[in-house]
Amino acid sequence: MAAVAQTSPLSRVFWPALAWIIALIFFFPIFWLVFTSFKTDADAVKPEHLFFFTPTLENYANMTENYDYWRFAINSVITATFATAFALVVGVPAAYAMAFDPSRHTKDILVWMLSTKMLPAAAVLYPMTFLTKNMLGLFDTHFLIIVVLCLINLPIVIWMLFTYFKEIPKDIIEAGKMDGVSTWGEIKDILIPLAWGGIASTALLTFIFCWNEAYWTVRLTTIDAATLSKLIEGNRAPEGLFFGRLSAVSTAAVGPIVVLGWFCQKQLVQGLTFGAVK
Amino acid sequence: MANRTLPRLLQAPAVLMLLMWMLVPLGMTLFFSFIRYVLNSLRRPEWTTPSIENWRGLGNYKYVLEAKDFWFAIQNSVFIVVSILIFTVVFGLLIAVLVNRSFPGRGIVRVLLISPFFVMPAVNAVLWINMILDPVLGLNGLAVAGINDLVVGLREFPLIGQFFSMWPELKPISFRATQTSAYAVIMMVTWQWTPFAVLIFMTSLQSEDESQKEAAMLDGASAWSQFINLTVPHLARPIAIVVMIQSIFHLSLYAEIEIVSRGNGNKNLPYLIGEFTSNNIGAASATGIFAVILANIIAIFLLRMVGKSLMN
Repeated sequence: MAAVAQTSPLSRVFWPALAWIIALIFFFPIFWLVFTSFKTDADAVKPEHLFFFTPTLENYANMTENYDYWRFAINSVITATFATAFALVVGVPAAYAMAFDPSRHTKDILVWMLSTKMLPAAAVLYPMTFLTKNMLGLFDTHFLIIVVLCLINLPIVIWMLFTYFKEIPKDIIEAGKMDGVSTWGEIKDILIPLAWGGIASTALLTFIFCWNEAYWTVRLTTIDAATLSKLIEGNRAPEGLFFGRLSAVSTAAVGPIVVLGWFCQKQLVQGLTFGAVK
Repeated sequence: MANRTLPRLLQAPAVLMLLMWMLVPLGMTLFFSFIRYVLNSLRRPEWTTPSIENWRGLGNYKYVLEAKDFWFAIQNSVFIVVSILIFTVVFGLLIAVLVNRSFPGRGIVRVLLISPFFVMPAVNAVLWINMILDPVLGLNGLAVAGINDLVVGLREFPLIGQFFSMWPELKPISFRATQTSAYAVIMMVTWQWTPFAVLIFMTSLQSEDESQKEAAMLDGASAWSQFINLTVPHLARPIAIVVMIQSIFHLSLYAEIEIVSRGNGNKNLPYLIGEFTSNNIGAASATGIFAVILANIIAIFLLRMVGKSLMN
């Protein structure tokens, strides 16, 4: 930050002002969504009420009636929570073994895991539908969505945990081994308390990814396990009639996640670039 | 060497799950891509069950390669992905450099900038195509109508009225149309992913060697030449990573395309696969294999880079 020291007063005002303007432009669509959600459907499409109107909460009050919001929201909460938990249960032991007891294949396994993340989902659309509908009878169940969300996020979970675990000094774990602590004890009493921050942010980020997922949750559900992505996609073209209520339900669908996201900006970089950008 | 059984056992569930996830559906796609397999056929009912007896060899691939839609989808996929990449990288670089200095409210600016990234794709698309881009009721339509009203009002004035009476009436662009729906998708995805680029570039800028920059400044190097000669080379690697990660994500764009125009005039490979899947599974599978190949070409480079950074 030393570079700013000898710049002219003009640029000391100009550049921050520009940064603020750009930030406000980027945030504007979200602001507009929230803003519109307080208008009635009629006001939302009238130019004279573009900025001035009587705010109302009726769109939020009627979310259940209009869209059955809570059913979809509960499905989103259930699938995202269990998928995250499941991914951690499978991912923590795997990352633990890779970080503290690596073999010469560990690197290859990690890279291979990532490569599964890069397969285009659409390529296996029909086999997934066929398997779950015709053979396993799992189509449109919470269980299926949980398993799929877990699988598509597992590589990222293991990578993130691996990079966090690697920073823990090996001696601490070794000392536990000397004292005759079991593997389970090591994970539970030494590793998890030490890496708590890393595990928590991994969980948070995975939860966000699960919540926002919009391919499998839409294509492998109809009603029973349908999430908020499916709800919003089903109301894609209201032809202007329902801007108010649509804004309210959209705000409710993204609001909590955007706020959660603010708390894991740093982890996002690590989670999405697989530790390749530091 | 310690006993290897335990670490293997700990990794086994994760490895086996991912192995199954990768091999089973992809193996089926590969199999279906070599047989005649349709969901409905009155003329040839035997084609409606997947069986080795309906072997078609490379026939599905040939059929797909000769389909006009396929080449359009490839072209359109590349057009969308490359446009998004150019916009996000350029905006991302400029914004990252701009925000990478201390000023009042920097924390809030960061929070505002990153927010679009956490909006779910379905909401992003619904918000943009309706509330913002709709040619009548969205801000797009309202803004154009406002300008037209203003021009009409100005025509009443003496002198300048003459000038404004020569102005044409503006027509708002409809972004659901065949020719423009790709632009809408590019716009909304750029909005969503520029924050990602900003975040990565900022992280990387913070590790830039400040002493080098100060030395350059003492030598009288301009801000621009510092940016070109020091900052851009430092950012080469993060730029490469942003480009590759986004390519992989955006090659499988789906929700945005579905919501904007249901693929009308704006198909990409995943959308085409979805359309084939409504009946011609053989063709859908062959297209899927092409999509896998396309993604792998990029993934190989990315994985190589990631693998290298893993070791240091």
